[in-house]
Amino acid sequence: MSATTADGVALRIENVGMRFGGLWALSEVSFDVQRGSVLGLIGPNGSGKTTLMNVISGVYKPSTGAVSYAGRRIADVATYDVCRLGIARTFQIVKPFASLTVRENVAVGAMYGRDGGKRSTRASFARAEELLDVVGLTRVAARPASDLTIPDRKRLEVAKALALDPDVLLLDEVMAGLNATEVDEALELLRTVNARGVTLIVVEHLMKAIVSISTTIVVLAEGKKIAEGAPSQVLSSPQVIEAYLGSRWVKRQEQLKVIEAQRAEAARVQPEANA
Amino acid sequence: MTGPATAAALRRIGAGGITGSPVAFAVALGLMALLLAVPFSHNGYLEIVFRNILMYAAMAYGWNMIGGYTGYVSFGQVAFFGLGAYCSAVLSTMGVNNLFADVALACAVTALFAILIGLPVLQLKGHYFAIATLGVALATTDIVANLDALGGTGGLRVQQVDEAHFSIYYYAMWLVALGAILATYLIARSKLGYAFVAIRENEEAAAVLGINPRRYKIAAWAISAMMAGAAGAVFAPANGFLDPSIAFSTDSNVFPIVMALLGGIGTVAGPFIGAVILAGANELLQRYFINIHSLFFGAMIVLVVLLLPRGLVWLFGMRGGARTWLKSLTVYKA
Repeated sequence: MSATTADGVALRIENVGMRFGGLWALSEVSFDVQRGSVLGLIGPNGSGKTTLMNVISGVYKPSTGAVSYAGRRIADVATYDVCRLGIARTFQIVKPFASLTVRENVAVGAMYGRDGGKRSTRASFARAEELLDVVGLTRVAARPASDLTIPDRKRLEVAKALALDPDVLLLDEVMAGLNATEVDEALELLRTVNARGVTLIVVEHLMKAIVSISTTIVVLAEGKKIAEGAPSQVLSSPQVIEAYLGSRWVKRQEQLKVIEAQRAEAARVQPEANA
Repeated sequence: MTGPATAAALRRIGAGGITGSPVAFAVALGLMALLLAVPFSHNGYLEIVFRNILMYAAMAYGWNMIGGYTGYVSFGQVAFFGLGAYCSAVLSTMGVNNLFADVALACAVTALFAILIGLPVLQLKGHYFAIATLGVALATTDIVANLDALGGTGGLRVQQVDEAHFSIYYYAMWLVALGAILATYLIARSKLGYAFVAIRENEEAAAVLGINPRRYKIAAWAISAMMAGAAGAVFAPANGFLDPSIAFSTDSNVFPIVMALLGGIGTVAGPFIGAVILAGANELLQRYFINIHSLFFGAMIVLVVLLLPRGLVWLFGMRGGARTWLKSLTVYKA
């Protein structure tokens, strides 16, 4: 909440490229994340969303470009130190500490996260209790994490990330596999978290969910940024439609438009001819 | 090994939290208190039997810290035991015969050794780590056997107290074992213990939560080395003689692991309970069935692994009796 640049940019992604052997999973991706905003990151399967999350959270070092947070390049920071800068993440494939209880899982985050150095074990458990209440897991606090259902595991991921006291929270498909009611609950949770001043970067496949929560949407396709802007603006962009539905579909739409126009034209002309 | 099905099976046997069952911990402390009475029997044989139990217990706690809590299965703990023993032997040749000095030097040397070896070796995982630690143990044995300053294969004599005060070694070993138990209890409940378990459960997730895996793995190994080293430091003068085959014996390497498994890894009471039962059974079998003692002993280990996959301590927290136990047998089969 304090560690941001003066112009309101929380996180700056500059010309980021990520190469695995001969494959560029990301190339020349640049955008800013405004402090306090919700940035939706979308794109078809394999477009590089999770790779970008891994670059931002310090798991991968980018091949080109840089991610900077509060003027500091994240590539130079070890994974375990990234959370001390104020950046936390959840995993698309949830990684609970299976044999620990739900409460203990969250407490570990509070112990070693951003303010962890100052927190005693007891204070960490107290903090865990608060966060379990925020995400709605109090009812299963004493159960082993391996016990949880998929929606609850996703909640646990969010609670663990929140225990790090982040300014920026990266959420990698926390809504995948949830039913409609659960998605609504998850959105409600994210709004609550955002309202507490946490900047969110949300990767999601569910278009409806992402449109309803994001202030800005960035679209990736084949590792490149193809659109950025307000949700409605981005979703009507032909490139985005092409990326999602294929070029043939777009071509067909264009052909349909032409045919439509021709028909309209014909309809306009014909009566004249008849007259 | 913890897919959803096995995890559910584990839950049924009852986890008992990061320290394991508190009842089992109380039982272990009670047994420790009873063991204080052994020297009053004035039976030299009994004293040696129980001193060995305490020694193996301390080593089992050492193994439990790295193998049980941190999830890095080490087959090299005997290197620390042997080095600790040689610390005492070397001090003795220099005319220093003080158990406190012995234990202090052994802890310092073994911790330093664990840190230096751990820097490269703890980068490995799973089978690779296990094999590398076995290599460390074998290499350490050979190096010591070839150092003339340490007596080579001929060994070193270690100065002992006179017979009237011999129980001092028993009490010293008792203190080492108690120290290992209490240290494990305090560490398990602390931030350190949670870092170890987080690394065991998922190293990548632990790193994202701000835990530096390398640093904490090395810490766990250094602590485990000190427990084995302290036991070795008391063993050397109690034994009066030390050579590489005694200091780095296969028994000292394997027994502690089996004891921790029998009692329950990743628990505070497990290694001690395992040590008492296994070393006790070994002694009785050796005494009354000397010819087929190895067969009995081997069969016992196999039965324990098959029938008590989570160790004895987990039975303390078990809910639901025999049916739950039968279900728990499926835990490691998959």
